[in-house]
Amino acid sequence: MTDLPPLPPEDDDDLLAAEYVIGLLPRADRAAFDARLRRDTALALRVADWEDRLSGLNDDYPEVAAPNLLPQIEARLFPQVAAARRRWLSNFWTMGAAITAALALVAYLALTPPAPSFTATLIAVSSPLKYEAVITQDRLTLTRVAGSAADAAHAHELWLIAGDNPPVSLGVILGDSETITLPGLAAGQTLAVTLEQSGGSPDGKPHGPIVAAGKLTAA
Amino acid sequence: MKPSSPGSPSQTKSKMPALDAPTAVVNLHFMDDPVALLIQSTAAQDRAAFRELYSVSSAKLMGVLLRILNNRAESEDALQEVYTRVWLKAGRFDATKGRGMTWLIALSRNLAIDRLRQRPDHVSDDDAMAAHADPAPRAELRMVAAGEARRINDCFATLEPDRAEALRGAYLTGLSYSDLAAHYGVPLNTMRTWLRRSLQKLKECMGS
Repeated sequence: MTDLPPLPPEDDDDLLAAEYVIGLLPRADRAAFDARLRRDTALALRVADWEDRLSGLNDDYPEVAAPNLLPQIEARLFPQVAAARRRWLSNFWTMGAAITAALALVAYLALTPPAPSFTATLIAVSSPLKYEAVITQDRLTLTRVAGSAADAAHAHELWLIAGDNPPVSLGVILGDSETITLPGLAAGQTLAVTLEQSGGSPDGKPHGPIVAAGKLTAA
Repeated sequence: MKPSSPGSPSQTKSKMPALDAPTAVVNLHFMDDPVALLIQSTAAQDRAAFRELYSVSSAKLMGVLLRILNNRAESEDALQEVYTRVWLKAGRFDATKGRGMTWLIALSRNLAIDRLRQRPDHVSDDDAMAAHADPAPRAELRMVAAGEARRINDCFATLEPDRAEALRGAYLTGLSYSDLAAHYGVPLNTMRTWLRRSLQKLKECMGS
């Protein structure tokens, strides 16, 4: 942080970890620490220790009844399921016959192939950056095959764009190759990588430019 | 996004014989930590467990987000983001390293503080300062083991009162050094020196 004095090196990392956990650091320092944290496992351990050490303070947070936001959360995470549910509901009412709708649902589920396989190539318009995505059995593996990773002040973040739904963050890409589990993918959906601030978008919405993108196609 | 680490509970479990010692340790952790068990099931793509996790933890996390963000609509938006991240990152949770609720609260605090620091008009916030003077939460709602809270409170009692108050306020409401300096009317550097000494003392007191 530009307005704070430099500190002696000894114990500095440990106190910095404490300041990070508590949330004392200004934005730029916080982002810089986030960037270090992703590469430095010793630093991550210091952070975990401070989180644990200070966890007794969590008692002071009161419980506040939250509305049921699960439908919105699941719609973000599992766009295909949400769409199927909406389709089923609309069938139900327009046909006016519960049995027909139930049969339609059974048929829909029976015809839905389990865990299909897809691939996608995410390319950039004006740079050599290129990611390859392979999806099998609900596991998405993303590998950077050309171009370079984001610099220390930024991060590449992966997004899923399904139809007209807002992009869903699949997380910051930490290494050259990453694997996550993600059911509900379908051909035609788009995977995009944006350039975000270090640590990724803080609010679940993309802010930076798209640096690579591609559509899922059946393998 | 990060590949689930080789030491994550789900993988450890699948690779080890049923009665192997590390597996037994993991299971012991779950016995008094149902939230940890739900996070592990969530990591295994169990949507029913994910819903159950929401129902047992969302009120506490909403309390965390509201305290830091001080805004209902933004907190509800942040809560959606928290559980989206919980689903995607559950594989990183390691029950041998900490309690499930501690992990969920750390994730929520991180997200809320990131949002707070992104606000363009973030300055000294008297509302937030007032919020941390809230009365203690109802005893029946406490979710962290009582011993942990007692230990940190004993250690806070060894610090100078205004510095202990500043640290507690910063942790609970996400105040930055500049917020605290403005509130206490001292230079930023002085505030940082004070709190760093207090943190050092706190760490020694807690025996690490």
